[in-house]
Formats: sequence, structure tokens, C-alpha cells
Amino acid sequence: MLTSLRKDLARRRQDLLSAFIWIAIPLLIGGLITAMMGNDVKPHGVLLMVDQDESILSELIAGAYTAGELGELISVEKTTIEDGIERVNDGEASALLIIPEGFGAAFLNSEPVTLTLKTNPSQTILPGIITSVTEILLDAGFYAHQLFGDEIETIKNLDDSPADAVVAAMAVDIQNKIESVTPHLFPPIIDIEIVAPPPTEPAPPLALLFLPGIILMAVMFAANGIAGDWWREREQGTLRRLVYAPGQLGAFIAGKALAAAVIIGLVGGLTLVLGFLYHGISWAKLPSSLIWISVSGVGLFAWFAALQMLFSNQRTANVISSMLLFPLLMAGGSFFPLAVLPGWIAVIGRASPNGFVADRLTQEITAAGAWSFALSDWLTVAAAVVTGLSLCAWRLGSGFARA
Amino acid sequence: MLKVKELSKNYGDLVAVDRISFNADKGQVFGLLGPNGAGKSTIINCISGLLQPTSGHASVAGHDVVADGKAARQNLGVVPQELALYEDLPAIENLRYWGKAYGMRGAELESRVSNVLETIGLGDRAKDLPKSYSGGMKRRLNFGCGIVHKPNLILLDEPTVGVDPQSRSRLFDMVEAERDAGACILYTTHYMEEAERLCDSLAIIDHGKLIAQGTVDELRSKLGARDVLQLSGSFPIKAIRDAIDGLVERGNHDLEIISQEESSVTLSLSQASQHLPAIFDALSSAGGTVTETSLRSPNLETLFLLLTGKELRE
Repeated sequence: MLTSLRKDLARRRQDLLSAFIWIAIPLLIGGLITAMMGNDVKPHGVLLMVDQDESILSELIAGAYTAGELGELISVEKTTIEDGIERVNDGEASALLIIPEGFGAAFLNSEPVTLTLKTNPSQTILPGIITSVTEILLDAGFYAHQLFGDEIETIKNLDDSPADAVVAAMAVDIQNKIESVTPHLFPPIIDIEIVAPPPTEPAPPLALLFLPGIILMAVMFAANGIAGDWWREREQGTLRRLVYAPGQLGAFIAGKALAAAVIIGLVGGLTLVLGFLYHGISWAKLPSSLIWISVSGVGLFAWFAALQMLFSNQRTANVISSMLLFPLLMAGGSFFPLAVLPGWIAVIGRASPNGFVADRLTQEITAAGAWSFALSDWLTVAAAVVTGLSLCAWRLGSGFARA
Repeated sequence: MLKVKELSKNYGDLVAVDRISFNADKGQVFGLLGPNGAGKSTIINCISGLLQPTSGHASVAGHDVVADGKAARQNLGVVPQELALYEDLPAIENLRYWGKAYGMRGAELESRVSNVLETIGLGDRAKDLPKSYSGGMKRRLNFGCGIVHKPNLILLDEPTVGVDPQSRSRLFDMVEAERDAGACILYTTHYMEEAERLCDSLAIIDHGKLIAQGTVDELRSKLGARDVLQLSGSFPIKAIRDAIDGLVERGNHDLEIISQEESSVTLSLSQASQHLPAIFDALSSAGGTVTETSLRSPNLETLFLLLTGKELRE
């Protein structure tokens, strides 16, 4: 077994370019993502507004989109229709709102009026927020009419310089109505028990959530690349020569699995160290994380190998294996963290082999302490390793090595 | 050392090896001769454990290759027809790896690896990767990997295919060195000159059947002193046969038709050169036209032709 291990490690030293690629591509992608996201960056969108009405009401609407915490997510820019459409189409803005001329008057007169909202189809979250805010504003307008219909009618009929007494009377009426509906809108709290909330961990930065997926990308590249070695050995005739040797098959497979663990440990370990350095993760979590990805990597290697050995030629094996690799990376959170994916996609992602490993790794590096892996996690990975290697052994014994 | 008894291997209805039996002893090169597809490699694969025989037995050093395969394989070294090397491991590491695969360790392994490197003439290139070697050097390393663990029986499956003359000669020297060191060698080839040079005993096979067996001298004696005369041209079958029969009746008693087609006739007879005018006259009288003539003195190649009616390399 150790002979086989040393042999594979010595051979791998002749192909350092592959190892470099396994590390470089995930780091490049991870670097780009981190550069784009930063550690504390929140998503921010631009709402383009065409205000053809230029009334107080239209100004109020513009202000509503940037009120309070919404202002951290959305900024409003005024523009023309042509420029607005072009910029939304070019992906430079999240949405375009057109307030038509006569909007204010129509509102006061309770006449139908159309606001046009064009959203950017390439974004999902921010256009959704803008659409929701717009719907809330429309609802607010409806209820304002229901509550203050008389006052609105009075305002509509006022001349340019209303008497102070009229304004004061209207203010008193509005105040009275607000006081009368307040108990219904904000009913008094009968019994209040103040319970101090448990201290909560701050939500991890988004860029940190990308780290496990990036590491798993390197592990997947390495596992798939090393799995191709069975075919290389077959093409070189060394598997056939192995069959001539007495009782070597089991030791040979174990040696290959150990070599895979070492190589994946080095590849994944390097990406781990860089990630830990960048994000300032506690070094106490490095051993557990490294062991986790190394053992899991052997399982991925074994299953990739078993899959590749099912096919009749190396070319088909490579194509199928690569076709499987990228959807797995996509589903398993290597391009988008599972935490930010829609619920049902995240469920599928966590059920994928690499998604499972990445999810538990995320848990480990964001947990309060090290070794947060459950026993069932280790048993699941161990089962994957054993079944994958057993499949490899079966395939070797059933003719793959003899061909 | 090697005993093969009634060995057969079928692939469905195809009989690749048909009840072959032979024995080979220590210090002996036993040749398996036959054209491509005769079944030589199948026999090697059955002995090496790569294939399960359909029936019959083979044993190496007293160990049945099926029932006691592990012990049999421990005594076995195989030099496959195709290269079986780690191209990305230096030659010395290839030899060490295969030596360890058979249980060699420490000083014994290092000493043996060093000896094998000298034997195969790669001592000065031991740390180079095989992918930088010529075809002949790779063949020599392939041989070295098969013998590094000092096997008692070495199976050589057409080891000189695609090898340049210089490397071929070196390979012969290596085979003879192993034989002189006491190994038993089973050597398959379709080159008669290789068999004549190397083999102490031979089995000639065709279509999976053993058609002749013995030492080179014994097999030669089967030919007697008869030459083989091959004629190409146009030959009416019936008329030519009658003409040859006429020559036999007129005193050429050892004249024999080995094979006959419309475009070729192969004859065997002693001192053929003296009878050429009479043969050409007879063929011409029978309506035949000779465009090409080939006269060969007796050797294993002509024996194969005599036994099968076809060239060894067809």
C-alpha cells in the first residue's frame, strides 16, 4: 500500500501543472468574487425615475424609496424615458419608474392613473424590493383616500392663499381622525414580558460564505483529475501488469486512496490556509476543516473513479465526468453560496455530494468553536469512501484492469 | 517448471485455444510459434491468470494457475506484447516498484534493480523518464520490469514486435542470460529466425491447435531434406495436378503438392533446383504459366508452410 502511495505521489510530482490549475482556477474565481463582494458590502441598486408630473406628490413618492433603511439598498436618479430604458436594458439600473403627467391631480380627484415600473430581468432581489415598495405606496394612497377624503376634497378646492383658520381647522380634523384610528392600528399591549434575547452571532459576511464553495471547487477538480489516473494506468498497461502480480489489488487501491487524500489535502489545504488568512478565521478550525475536506475528497475521488471506470473508453469517461462536474459545482454552492440560494435550490444543493461537504464546512468555519461536525457527518463521508472504493475494486476485478 | 495440459479457451463458439499440451523446464527457452491470431497470446494470458481457461490445466512450479493462482503468479514474470510502464516514473523507480510488488525489499531489491539496469543497458539512463526513451529502450525496460523479481518462469509475448535490430539483438542476449541463470522462458513469436536462434524446444500452433512440437532439430528432421518451391502465375487446377502426378510416377517420388490455387502452386521436393526444368516443362504442357518462382531450403518457416499450406506471416 505504501509502495503504491509513494509511486502515485512520485508520478504526481511530474505533473505539477495540473495541481496548479486545480488550485489556480478556484482561487481566481474566489478572488474575483471577493473583490466584487468585499467583506461588508450590501447589494445596492439604482431606481431610475421619470417624473413627468413634477408635483409634491411625485416628489413624496421619490422620497419614499430612499426612506430609512431602504436608502442603504436603493438610490433614486431622475432621468428621461429613453435614457432610463436604455440603462435598464444595459443592466445599469434595477428598475425604471415613470410617473405620468397629471398623476397628482388624478390622485386628488380619485381618478384612475397608471404608474409604469420596468424592472431589470437580470436581477432578482432589488427589483423585487422596488416592486414591493411601489405596491405598498399604492395601497397607502388608497387608504389615505378612505381616511382623509374630506380633507383632500377641501385641499383640492383651496385657492392659493387659504385662511389660517381653514388650515387650522383642517389640521385639527386630521389630528382627530388619526387619534381615533390609532387604537385600531396600534392596539395597546396588554401584557408585556421583556425577555432579554440570547446573544446572537453576527451574520457572516457574504464573501466568507463563498469560501467553502471555492475550496470544494479545488477539491472537486483534484478528485476528478486524480480519478482519471485509473484510465491512464490502464492505457499504460500497468493495470494489466498489476494483475500478473500476486495479491496486489487491495493494497493498490488503498495506496491510490491514500495518495488521493494527500494530494487533495495539499490542494484543499492551500486554499483553506489562504481563505483562513484572508477572512481571519480561527486557526483552531484548520485541522478539523483540513481532515474534513481530505476525507471527503477521497470519497469524491472514489466515486468519480468508479463512474469513469464504467465507460468503455477514456474519452467518453472524461467527457461524462466533466459534464457531471460542473453541474455539481453549480448546485453544490461553488458559484453561489447555498445560504443565498432560493430555498428549494439550496435543499437540492445540500443533497449533492459536494454541497453536503461544503455545507458542513460552512458550519465549521462560522461556528463558535472547532469540531462542530456531527458524528453522522463523518459516518456519511466514511460510507461514501467505502462504497466508492468498493465499486472501484469491483470494476478492477471485473475486467477493467485486464482489458 | 511449466506444465500445460489439454488447455482450451473458448469465446462463445470460437475456439481460440484447442486442447494444447506442452511442458517447459528450467534453463530452457520454449517457443510458441504461430501466425498472428493463432492463439499464442491467449495461452500466455491463461497461464498468467489474465484469462480463465475454459478447460484443461496449467501449472507453474507445481502450482495450478487457477486453484493456486497467487503462488503460481509469485513464480511468474510476464513481459507483455504491449508496453506496460509508468512513463512518468524514472526507469529505476519503475523497476523498484515492480520489484516491491512481488515482495522484494531493501538491499536485495536495490542489488537486483542495479543488475537489471545493467542487463538491459539502461544504467546510465536510470533516472530518466521512459517517455524520453526510444522505442527499443522502452522495450528493454519493459523486459526489465518483467524479470526484476527473479521469476522462475518468464512469459515473453512477442517481445521484439516493433523493435530495431540492435535492440532485438540485445533482447536476445537478455533472454539467453535469464535462461543461463536458470529461468524457464516461454517465448511466443511469429519470427522463425528468432525461434531458431533462441528456442531449445518449440510448439507450432495454428488456429489454436498444436500442429508440431519438439526441438528445432527434431522439427527440421520432419522436413527431411526437402526444399519448398513456390510458383506464381496461372495454373489450371486439374491439369496441373495431373502433370505433377505424372512427374511423381516418372521417378520424383518425394514431390508433393503442399498447396494449389489458380494463381499459385507450392511444391516440396528434395534437391528442387535439379528438377526445375522438368517441373517447368510439365507445368507448361499442362497449360500453366509461371511468372514468379521462389525456392527455399528447409527451415522452420518451410516446415510451417508444409504443415499448414500457408506462410507463417499471413
